[in-house]
Amino acid sequence: MKVERLLWLGASVLVFAGFIYFWQLISDYRWVSPVFLPGPDRAWQALVRGITTGDLLVRWTATIERMIYGWLLASLAGICLGALIGSSERARAYIGPTLELMRPLPASAVVPLAIALLGLSETMVLAVIAFGGLWPMLLATVHGFSAVEPRLYEVSRALGLSRTAVIFKIALPSSMPDILAGMRLSLTVALILAVIGEMLASRDGLGSHIMLAARAFRSPDLFAGVILLGVTGLVSAMLLSWFESWMLRWRESR
Amino acid sequence: MVSVNAKAAGDPILEIDKVNLTLGGHEILRDVSAQIGNGEFVCVVGPSGCGKTTMLRLLAGLYQPSAGAVTYRGQRMLHPRQDIAIVFQDYGKALLPWRTAHGNVALAFEAMGAPRNGRDEKIEQLLVKVGLGGQGKKYPNQLSGGMQQRLQIARCLAQSPAVLLMDEPFGALDAMTRQGLQDEVLSIVRETGATAFFVTHDLEEAIYLGDRVIGMLPHPGRVAITVDVNLPHPRNQLTTREDPEFLSLRRQLFDFIKDAES
Repeated sequence: MKVERLLWLGASVLVFAGFIYFWQLISDYRWVSPVFLPGPDRAWQALVRGITTGDLLVRWTATIERMIYGWLLASLAGICLGALIGSSERARAYIGPTLELMRPLPASAVVPLAIALLGLSETMVLAVIAFGGLWPMLLATVHGFSAVEPRLYEVSRALGLSRTAVIFKIALPSSMPDILAGMRLSLTVALILAVIGEMLASRDGLGSHIMLAARAFRSPDLFAGVILLGVTGLVSAMLLSWFESWMLRWRESR
Repeated sequence: MVSVNAKAAGDPILEIDKVNLTLGGHEILRDVSAQIGNGEFVCVVGPSGCGKTTMLRLLAGLYQPSAGAVTYRGQRMLHPRQDIAIVFQDYGKALLPWRTAHGNVALAFEAMGAPRNGRDEKIEQLLVKVGLGGQGKKYPNQLSGGMQQRLQIARCLAQSPAVLLMDEPFGALDAMTRQGLQDEVLSIVRETGATAFFVTHDLEEAIYLGDRVIGMLPHPGRVAITVDVNLPHPRNQLTTREDPEFLSLRRQLFDFIKDAES
């Protein structure tokens, strides 16, 4: 079993190395002009330079901060609203269709509205991230709350649990798998919207860094930014999935 | 043999008085009356759809009768009470899968607002009592069906119930596990002095456990026969089941069910 895992790991490292090598080939043989596509060597140099001078580091942390704040805001609002809607059958029936209508709305489409209301401000970017991240959270929580085993509500009544105890001890933990899945989706959305928000509102961050680099034809800088975004997405998803398997450890323990 | 609640007449703790119940336009129970004496072990048998589980839910306060009254110590049952515990048949659904065995029992103490001091020891004692000593850290899905049902019983005992309502608790278990649990429930009930109301579709189980067996018939659900069980205690899986009294009761109830179905 362990050998198999190592083999898989080796294989995926090999694929990654092959990808980098192919990228180097493309730039070495100038199949694509280096103005648009730098080699991995130059992208790496730009990345190291940006981090050692601190420029890129500051922008990176700014983007991560926005992503996390917006995401936490979305999660909190999503769980609270979702719990409210999900625990009442009537609320689900009334509000459900409206939610379904608003859910597929691309959050980037509300950016102009957000700019009109909040200006080109930090608040605007956070609001857009929170708005976009809210939907997966909200729907996941509503689903989780509506799928609580009815028998557990009877058990709660028989034990004489208070209303708040039922929410925090029964419904919320029972919805946790759905909620965590929603948080994972919402995190991806939050990263995308942080970058878009920075680009449109020119807040200092990886999004504006990438756009300015593109305008100045500094393709290595552009790629350095893209690499950092990739790393951010990967690491945050990994952290969350660790957290998830810790929270849901009761599931796999067979 | 058919007597009118001889034992219960003196001191009923639970009483169902001329109860009708209609749910969603369907008449589930019609004119059901029964008295359950303090400390009595009453079993209910009958074909499916006869309303035996419904009767249990009325006694639990989970349902309200459409007509008639359910009383506990002379007072109307308007909602579930903490001193009346319910053991559900589907232990897999009635336990909290995200809590350990210990945590599941703790839920009952949390609901009662019991002090944290000494709670852990009490929980361990209860787990030992149902034969789950040392298993407190396991999650329900790490326990066998029989052990999960024991865990549910431990959670009910944490309520220190005066009445234990059991809804086909061993219906999903294999024969050996079932017999073991029957004896354990009997000894727990005798030890705590609790009143027991036990729903089952297994005639022999009803006779083996009960001081009295109520037989019900469906369409609509009604009480059709009441039989006193005068078998000596403690009951024994071999000798009790060979007792001529046991066999004649079994015959009587078997004929009753067969007549009902034909």
